[in-house]
Amino acid sequence: MKRGLVAATVVLMVVSLAACGGGSGSASATTSAAPPPVNNVQPVIVDAGPLVNGQPVGDEDILFTTVTVCIPGTGTCQSIDHIAVDTGSTGLRILASQLTLSLPISTNATGPIGNCIQYADNTYQWGPVAKADVKMAGEVASAVPIQVVGAANFPDPPEDCTAGGTAAQTVSDLGANGILGVGLFRQDCGLACASTASPPAIYFSCPSSGCSITSVSLTEQLQNPVWMFPQDNNGLVIILPQIAASGAISVSGSMLFGIGTQSNNTLGSAQAQASDGFGNFTTTFNGTKYSSSFIDSGSNALFFLDSATTGLPDCSPRSEAPGFYCPASTTNFTAINSGPNPNGSATPVSVNIAFSIANAVSLSSLNSAFNNVGGENSGAFDWGLPFFYGRSVFIGIEGQSSAAGKGPYWAY
Amino acid sequence: MLSALFFLALSVFAALGGSEESVISDQAKLQASRKTVPQQGYRVHEISRGDGTLVKEYVSLEGKVFGVSWKGPTLPDLSQLLGSNFAEFQSSVHPHAGRRKATVVHNNNLMVESTGHTRAFQGRAYLKSLLPPGVTQEVVQ
Repeated sequence: MKRGLVAATVVLMVVSLAACGGGSGSASATTSAAPPPVNNVQPVIVDAGPLVNGQPVGDEDILFTTVTVCIPGTGTCQSIDHIAVDTGSTGLRILASQLTLSLPISTNATGPIGNCIQYADNTYQWGPVAKADVKMAGEVASAVPIQVVGAANFPDPPEDCTAGGTAAQTVSDLGANGILGVGLFRQDCGLACASTASPPAIYFSCPSSGCSITSVSLTEQLQNPVWMFPQDNNGLVIILPQIAASGAISVSGSMLFGIGTQSNNTLGSAQAQASDGFGNFTTTFNGTKYSSSFIDSGSNALFFLDSATTGLPDCSPRSEAPGFYCPASTTNFTAINSGPNPNGSATPVSVNIAFSIANAVSLSSLNSAFNNVGGENSGAFDWGLPFFYGRSVFIGIEGQSSAAGKGPYWAY
Repeated sequence: MLSALFFLALSVFAALGGSEESVISDQAKLQASRKTVPQQGYRVHEISRGDGTLVKEYVSLEGKVFGVSWKGPTLPDLSQLLGSNFAEFQSSVHPHAGRRKATVVHNNNLMVESTGHTRAFQGRAYLKSLLPPGVTQEVVQ
C-alpha cells in the first residue's frame, strides 16, 4: 500500500489561491447587523500530499486544504496548500519553513509565548504563538492566534513539551505543510490553560532565560478559526464522496462552514450526538463499550482495538504496511456510536456504523484514499478518515448553537 | 497513604522494569503527589498532578515496576516512564500507521499502548515477563 516508490502517477494539483486583496481585518466592530452571506464552501482533497524533492510525502488518507493567512488587518497574505484538515485537534499550525510572512508573535509580561502540541505517537510540535487573519472560502477570522511550528530564532522546546518524544516539524516528518485543527472545541486547551493553579504543559513563557509553563487566557490560546468567523461560526460539515473498495487516486470534497446557516449546510437527516468534555464518546463493539472513542479526520485509517479482540491479523512488521491490519480477506463489522442528544432530550442517540477492513498490503500503492484500512488502537475506536467517505460529518463547536442543540457534538 | 510534593529532581532510575525507588524519581520529575494502594499480589503508586495528569505505577511484592499507565491533558515523559525500554518503544513505532493519534507496540515482552489527543491522552505499558504470579495485564489500566 505504501506509495513511496511510485512517482510517475503523481498529479500536481494547481490549487486556486484565494485573492488576498481587501485586507478586511476587524476595523468596523460597531455594527451589529448580520453580515451579508458569503461563500462558505472550502474545497478539500485527499491526495499524495506535498512534494519534497519532487516526491509526495503524504500518508494515504490525509485530507488537505489550502489556507490563506495574512498579517492582521493588512492585505499582505500567503496561501499555503496541503494543510492537513484535522478534526482531532484545535487551531491552525503552520510549518515555519512554509511561511514567508512575518506574523506578529504573541507575548506576555515576560516574553514571547510558546505553544506545544503532543501526539499519542510521542511526537510533538513546538513554536511561538503568532496572530494572523485566516481566510477560507469567503470567510475571514481576524487576528487568530496560530502556532508557527519550528520557528527559527525561538528557544528550543522545553522538556515538558518534548516529553522524551520526537519533533514532527518538517514537511517530510509531518506529511503536510501544516495542520488545520477544526475539532469540537473553540481553543486547543481551554479553561485548564487559563487557570493559574497548575496549567498543563501546553503554553510557555519564553524569556531569554528559557521557557516555562504558563497560563494563557482563553482569547490568547490557539483558536478553531471557524468559531471566529463573523458568520457561519457554529460549526462545519465535511462532505466526501464514497469511494470504491479498491481505493482512489485522489478524492475531492468540501468543507462547509456553519450548520443550518445557509441552504447548503442544513442537518437534514443527520443524527447529532454530544461528545464528553474531552471530545470523546462511546463506541459499542461486540457488546463492549469503549468510552474514549473519537472521530478524527487526521487519523489515516480506522484505528480500533487490537488483533486479539478483532481477530484481524496485523500486517508483518517487514511488510509495506506495518501497524495496519492484514486480514486474509476483507472483513465486515458493525459498531454503535452513542452519546447524549445535544438538544437536551433525555434519550441518548445511537447510530449503527458498518465498516470493512481490507488487507492493507494488498491495496494498490497507486491510490491515496481508502475506505477500508484499519489498525490497532487498544481500548478505543479512532474513527479516522475512512469514516468520512460517503458521509456528511457535522462538527458542532462547543458553546455554539444550531438546530441540533449546543456543541460539542457530532452529527452524521 | 503518602502524599507529598517534591520539587527536587532526585537521581533518575528507569521506571518500567526498574526498582520501586524509580517511582520516587518519576514523582519528582512530574512534580506531583503520590499515594500507594495495596492490591492482591502487587501495589499501585498513583502519582497525580494538579493539571489532571494521573500516572499509575504497578509494583510487584519484590519491588519491581511491571506496568505503568497514564491519563491526562498532555503526555507524561515516556522516556522517563519507560526507562530502559524507551529505545525499544521508539524503534517499534510504525511512523505511518496512526501517525499522531494511536500507537500500539506489542513485542515479545514489551507492550505499549498509547491513544488520544490534546486534553485526553491515555496509555499503558507493561513487561510480560515481570507480571507477578496470578496477576494479568488487565490490572494495568
